[in-house]
Amino acid sequence: MLLHLCQWLYATHFGTSIRESQYMFPVIETIHTLGIALLVGTIAILDLRLLGFVMRKEPVSRVARQILPWVWAGFVVMLISGLLLFWSEAQTNYFNLAFRIKILLLILVGLNPLIFHLTIYRKVNQWEIAPVTPLRARLAAISSLTLWTGIIVAGRMIAYLH
Amino acid sequence: MIMLTLFHWLAKTSLAIALRDSTWAFAIIEVIHLLTLAIFGGAVLMVDLRLLGIGLKTQSRSQVSRELFPIVLIGLGVMLVSGFLLLASGPMRYYYNPAFRIKLVLFTVATIFQIALQQRAGRAEEQQVRGFYIGAVVSLLLWLSIGLAGRAIGYV
Repeated sequence: MLLHLCQWLYATHFGTSIRESQYMFPVIETIHTLGIALLVGTIAILDLRLLGFVMRKEPVSRVARQILPWVWAGFVVMLISGLLLFWSEAQTNYFNLAFRIKILLLILVGLNPLIFHLTIYRKVNQWEIAPVTPLRARLAAISSLTLWTGIIVAGRMIAYLH
Repeated sequence: MIMLTLFHWLAKTSLAIALRDSTWAFAIIEVIHLLTLAIFGGAVLMVDLRLLGIGLKTQSRSQVSRELFPIVLIGLGVMLVSGFLLLASGPMRYYYNPAFRIKLVLFTVATIFQIALQQRAGRAEEQQVRGFYIGAVVSLLLWLSIGLAGRAIGYV
């Protein structure tokens, strides 16, 4: 079923035009690559704050509130550019191991903040100015950094594995 | 001329040969370059957004510049080393690549500019902001151009 969907996307006029255009794919790919800084770079700063490496004097919720709009902006850029890249390569991506791993990691990285916000972040007022953040907050930061590293690695590997 | 001799010499070093002959070395170094781009780019972005007055506003300009300076410096270092290793894997391929030449010049300028900008902003009083608006815009444009030039190396 998924394969049929991918094949259909790949064959659409729009998918074909991205794939066959001289500039479309490189331009979208460049946006997708530089967008990493906007999405993952901003998330990394929040993670580093949770780990106590930067902005230690600033309460976690204040850092989060101010960084999250930029994270969402990055998310929109990455989602749209990523979907366009996928659209044009859907059929080949479907069989690409690195692509499959990337999708799996993306699902996991989405679950991470969900769990974080529903659990330890609810009591953020109690710990956000402590010199050392709770273990669960640090674990969330470490899993976020690890998963994003995996996503970038897997994403880059899509081009290496055929 | 000196550059050409240097690149020729680099191509013959055992480091260059080892990198060229390895199957995965280029891919691994490229991924490290990309991962550092994420953290470095994010830090530069937040510093510039703060200088522009549209991000991290609860902290002062000087605070944000100082807090994120270590990340920027480490990022620059790792980008430089990993970038050099990528170059070493095929110096002559890059020597004649116009995108690479542009990137090299822009990177030199941007590195000096970024360090100077954050050093100054880190010591500045909160009232002196006008100069930093321009500084932040220049910094953003420089790093964006470097990113574009870097991406273009693979296409031209």
